[in-house]
Amino acid sequence: MNLALYVHLLGTMTLFGAALTALVTSLAGLPGPTARALLVAVPAWVLALVGGHWLQHDLHLGDSNATWLQLGRNILEPGVLVLLLAIFASWWWVRSANPRAGRVTAGLSGIYIALLAVAWLAMTGKWS
Amino acid sequence: MLHVTAAFLFVGGSVAAGILNTLAVRSELPSEIAALLGLIRRTLPVIFVGVFGTLLFGVWLWHDLHYSLGAAWIWLSLALWVVANALGGIGGRRQEQTRKLAERLAGEGDRPSSELHAALRDPVAHALNYGAGLATLAILALMVWRPGS
Repeated sequence: MNLALYVHLLGTMTLFGAALTALVTSLAGLPGPTARALLVAVPAWVLALVGGHWLQHDLHLGDSNATWLQLGRNILEPGVLVLLLAIFASWWWVRSANPRAGRVTAGLSGIYIALLAVAWLAMTGKWS
Repeated sequence: MLHVTAAFLFVGGSVAAGILNTLAVRSELPSEIAALLGLIRRTLPVIFVGVFGTLLFGVWLWHDLHYSLGAAWIWLSLALWVVANALGGIGGRRQEQTRKLAERLAGEGDRPSSELHAALRDPVAHALNYGAGLATLAILALMVWRPGS
């Protein structure tokens, strides 16, 4: 169980760090570094997902409908769409140099960071 | 909840600083390198809140959860916390010198420079940064496994 928790924490913390980097670089108007930072988020997301499912299996939480668990699941799984949209927006920005693409990337990175914060608060506070 | 939030800020902020440093090492133009190293300063408030939050809420939890005063894993975590911050601080000062060099070179024609690339690949700076990262990962492992508790 401990290894699963370690993998999950490492994945989510790295995911937060990569999204934070993307937010900082996009606000500074740097398309290339933003796109590369968002690519770091992909393996981190995989690590977070694998660790999360492993932990859920070890703790027999597969059938649980607890709010904190639902929030965590929904933010990690369907929530990845926000991350994917941010990645696409960053590549659009790299290719087009369109400042609007930069603003979209920054907005999506900020939204993703906010979602991750809600997930970690819900999961550690065991919101009911 | 507050202790884990602080840990997210500490580790996540350090990851962000690490990514920006790696992106700078892989860049060619001094102006780009200066911009990326300069952005590391934007992550520092996140890291500082995390660093002090983990200590403050960690000591609070130590008391609240009635862990023994002699709990070796907590003392080892505290020692690693000091090591991580010391190494990160010294590494950060070397990074700041490199940023200043990059800014100067950007103002003098912004051409790729072997001096700047040597500074970016400085093995001592790399050892300090990797050392700080490994100490942080070890703290996280101690918090998860809590050996002996």
